[in-house]
Formats: sequence, C-alpha cells, structure tokens
Amino acid sequence: MNDSPVKNEPTIEQTAVLLIDIASALMSSGAHTMRIIQNVSRMAETFGYDLDLSVFQLSIMMTIINKDDPCKLLTQVKKIKPLHLNFTIVSELSALSWDTYDKHLPYDKIIPEFHKIISRKRISGWLVLLLVALANAAFCRLFKGDFMAMGLVFFATLAGFSVRQGMIKKQVNHLVTFTTSAFVASLLTGLGYVFHLGHTPEIAMASSVLYLIPGVPLINSFLDILQGHILTGIARLVNAFSLIVCIAIGLFCSMLILGLEKL
Amino acid sequence: MTPEMFYLVIVDGLMAAIAAVGFAVISNPSRKAVLVSALLAAIGHSLRFFMIKSGLDITLASFVAASFIGFLSIFFAKIIHCPAEVFSYPSLLPMIPGLFAYRTILSMIKFMQSTEVVKTQGYMLDFFHNGMTALFILLALVVGVSLPVLFFPKLSFSVTRKY
Repeated sequence: MNDSPVKNEPTIEQTAVLLIDIASALMSSGAHTMRIIQNVSRMAETFGYDLDLSVFQLSIMMTIINKDDPCKLLTQVKKIKPLHLNFTIVSELSALSWDTYDKHLPYDKIIPEFHKIISRKRISGWLVLLLVALANAAFCRLFKGDFMAMGLVFFATLAGFSVRQGMIKKQVNHLVTFTTSAFVASLLTGLGYVFHLGHTPEIAMASSVLYLIPGVPLINSFLDILQGHILTGIARLVNAFSLIVCIAIGLFCSMLILGLEKL
Repeated sequence: MTPEMFYLVIVDGLMAAIAAVGFAVISNPSRKAVLVSALLAAIGHSLRFFMIKSGLDITLASFVAASFIGFLSIFFAKIIHCPAEVFSYPSLLPMIPGLFAYRTILSMIKFMQSTEVVKTQGYMLDFFHNGMTALFILLALVVGVSLPVLFFPKLSFSVTRKY
C-alpha cells in the first residue's frame, strides 16, 4: 500500500461533495446562513480551497477554488431537504468544522464522523409529545389561565401534536399539517367554552395553538436579514408567516364551528 | 420586593422553564442544552414579569429580557461548547405574544362579520392595537436576542472551538 500523504489528499470532487452535503445538512436542521457559510468555509480552507456559497430556500450553490491553482475549480448545486429542526446536528457539525480546522483532520476521518452525526437518533417521539403538552399547559399558566384551562390545553396539545407528528410522517404538505393540528387543538379547547369549564376558557383557546408557532425560522429570518443575507431571510420570513396564517385559519375554523364570535 | 411578589416571580420562572423544555425538545438539542434553555427561560421570563409589574412597557421589557438572554447564552455557549442559538431560541419562546395574536384574529373575525358601523370601528381599533403589540414584541425579542451575535461575531461563531 502506498502511504504517501499525496495519495490521501481528496480530489476536488470529493471535497465539493462533502462540503455541500454538510451545508445542506446544516440548512435543513435550522442553522442560520452566516453559520453555514462560516462552518463550510473553515473546512474548505483546511483542504486548501477558497469557497463561495449562496444559500436559497430550496437549494445551495457552491464553488470551490484551489488556492494554489485558481483554474482548478468546481461548482455544485444541491437541493435542500425540507426543514426538520435538529440542533444536535447544528452544534456537532459546528464542532466538527473547528476540529477539522484546528487538528487538520484528514478527509478519511471526517467522512465517517459526518455520517455518524447525521444518522444519530432523535429524542423519542412519545417523550417529545408529553413534554410539548406539559409545556403548552405551563404556557397557559403564564397567560394567567386557571387549572381547568391548563388541563384542557394539555389534552388538546396531546391530540394536536400527535396529529402533526402523524402527518409529518406521512409527508403531507406542511401548510395542511399546521392548519389541521391547529384546528384539532383549538376545537378541543373550544369545548371549555361550550360546557363552561373553568373561568378562563378564552386563555385556553389562545394558548392551545401556540406549540405550533414557528419560532426558530422566525428568529433565523431576522438574524439573516440583520447580517445582510436579505434574500434568504425574506424567504424564511415568508415561510414562517405562511405557517402563522395557517395556524390562524385552523383557529378561525374551529371558532366559526363552535360559534364563539357571538360569546 | 414583597414576599408575595417574590412568590409570583418564582412561579412565573418555573412555568417558563417547563414551557422552554417542551419547546426545546421539538428541535432535538443535546441534554445539556435543554437544561440551559430551561434556566435561561426562567431567568428571562421572570425578569420580564418583574419589569412589567414594576410598570415598564411590555415591549421594552421583552427587549431587555431578550437581550439579557442573548448575552447569557453566549456565556453558557462558551462553557458547554454549543452554538448559542441552540438554547437561546427555545428560551425566548415562552415570551411569544400568543394572547395578543389570538385577540388580533378574534377582532378580525368580529370585524368581518359585524354589520353595525359603530361596533366595526371598535373592532378595527382592537385589531390594530393587538396586532401592533404582537408585532413589536416579536421584533423586540428577535432583535434583542441577536444583539450579542451582532456585537461579538467572532466570539459567537467560535464557541464550539475546543482549543
């Protein structure tokens, strides 16, 4: 076997594929644009390349240029998978990029590390369901809802969030998913109004859909705009606002069905 | 601070912590990050609660609390080597102006269905008051939490560096 260091150098194609995979994994896990650019450029520098990157909502475009020979360059475009928040991936890939930069990790070691990071299991769905329901009940308490309202919100969130998990698994359109789960959750808490449960049914109704608020895309969008990535920021903002409108439509439907506007 | 007020602030912080844990696990962070986001949410939300009770405007209070969370999160990020947004985002979520957003939608529905001109004007007023409050709280939260990233870009991008 030939163990000379030149042999272990990855080709420009291999490097490009690795870097764009990392960029798209970061994007679909919910990192903001500046972080993606910083992480990937750092790794590219270790391999001896300059890197230019444009991030859009659905695809990433990347060119890497050899530092010693500017005529050796490669441009790639890659689709981004739908957003599925995963902050473990964001933080570990970020750490991996610093490791690569500081320890000059070779290509052969980065590849298995990267695959290990992106294939790690998520927190169990049941635990998430339970914690989200508890969180929403606590949220209701923050808005000064009474215990009846908290109980209603707890069960409504259990139902609504399990509907959402099921629909995400079946890959239903995300706007439809948000509308349906907002509708289910608010319809169940609306029963508090109908049967006069507790003294604060309107607070239960208001906080029952709040687990759906797309907080991370919303904050990311403003962060992108503040750092000058206006186009990506606007795309994220429009995405977040369309989800909020869907939540409102779901709430709206159940209010019309229960006739709450007359109360 | 009276003991009664102290009790209210503590309960507020506790509830915010529970809420933050639930909203954090949706985005699948590491265990340490969940704990830190609960702590930050408790600190931030009870700070905001105290400021509102002391007579500060809710938007301004949200801004101060959010920037406090932002700066603290950089500090914690440095300790546990994890990007700051992993725990600063979930700890903001309990401050999202959900009730104002709900009232905005409610007054919109009433405005649409009402036929009396006098009532319509009242609903219009409600719509704008609640909608503007929700919007400005949201802006205050987002700008507040991203202040440290804008002030210390080098630091906030190198927290995951171990050497």
